[in-house]
Amino acid sequence: MSETTPKYPYARIVRRETHSPRSTLAIVLAVLVILAVAWLITEIVLSLLGHPPLLSAPAQLAAGITELPTFATDLMIAVGSVLALAGIILVVAAVTAGRRARHSLVGERSAVVVDNAVIASALARHAARAGAVDPDSTRVTVGHRRATVEITPTSGFAVDTAAVEAAVTTQLESFGLRPLLAPRVIVHTHGKVGA
Amino acid sequence: MNNTNRGLNRTLIMVVGLVLLAAGALVLALSFVPAFGERWSDTAPQVSSSVSGVLVDTPLGDTGSSWLWIGVIVVLLVVAALLVAFIARQGRGHTRRLLTQPSTDNGSTVVESAVAEQLMTQSLADRPELVSSHVSTYRVRGASVLKISVTCRRGVSPTDVTTIINQRLRALDGLVGTEVPALIQISGGFRARTTKSTRLS
Repeated sequence: MSETTPKYPYARIVRRETHSPRSTLAIVLAVLVILAVAWLITEIVLSLLGHPPLLSAPAQLAAGITELPTFATDLMIAVGSVLALAGIILVVAAVTAGRRARHSLVGERSAVVVDNAVIASALARHAARAGAVDPDSTRVTVGHRRATVEITPTSGFAVDTAAVEAAVTTQLESFGLRPLLAPRVIVHTHGKVGA
Repeated sequence: MNNTNRGLNRTLIMVVGLVLLAAGALVLALSFVPAFGERWSDTAPQVSSSVSGVLVDTPLGDTGSSWLWIGVIVVLLVVAALLVAFIARQGRGHTRRLLTQPSTDNGSTVVESAVAEQLMTQSLADRPELVSSHVSTYRVRGASVLKISVTCRRGVSPTDVTTIINQRLRALDGLVGTEVPALIQISGGFRARTTKSTRLS
């Protein structure tokens, strides 16, 4: 019990917290497949008992597949495209990282994961103070590797861009985010009256 | 934090995706490649009739049906059951045990998660920076890990929040006598400021 931080599975935890588990999609697909399977079972049982089918008996299904080339080309193209597109989307979803809009902080006592919105809001407050504008006149967008601070100055008052940049950079450095955010400050040329 | 099997999630998505892609490609090939359509028209009826032949050769008593259908139903039921189990398996990983000390001559000590959860929630309740906090305990790789989710107010620096919580965590360490691994999850940031801004006109 005397070892310190590194013995904990922090790297694994942080990775799992900053990436999507793809659970929703997987559960939705599982439910759809279960429904399809349930329908197939029902059709088989109905045909075994000699009852009329719900939609299509297994024999009719097989015949339909055999006669695929005889269907109208437009319909085939439409159905084929939709199926293939859905397939591609799913394959892409299965393979891509599924990054969440979060960053991790370097912390000595614990693993820390922060929503990008929190980072943006903190940056906005400091940028607004450094630029002497209302916090509502700043707009901050935080992406994976870039933080963009947009400031709409009050008409007639100049905004000290260098001060804003310095404040934003200092804040970002103090956060110790992983991955690092590159700051970008934009001061709009058109001001807002009376803000 | 939970022990959802993410590899399995992705595998299922991948398999369904590949099946859809294959079906789509097949349908498109049938409509765009005439030669493939002809081959299909030649081969499919043969396959169909040989399957019907097999079904006729495997009668189920004198019902006039094949016992293979029963097999198909069983396979489909197994698939459905596996998928239900797959859905039920999502999430999980909570634990009620925070610590278990090895037993000594005087007995053994067990610290329940509720102790740490309630101590942390209470110690964070009075912080004006935080709108709310929720603490839960998960079992990760054999260790009990606290998950401290906090929602903070607009403009609060994540470093400040981290410092506050780490300080409280150290106090907790002192109480339970060992360092408890923890994840801090900070969200929010847009919820209203503490006071409404006033407009003077």
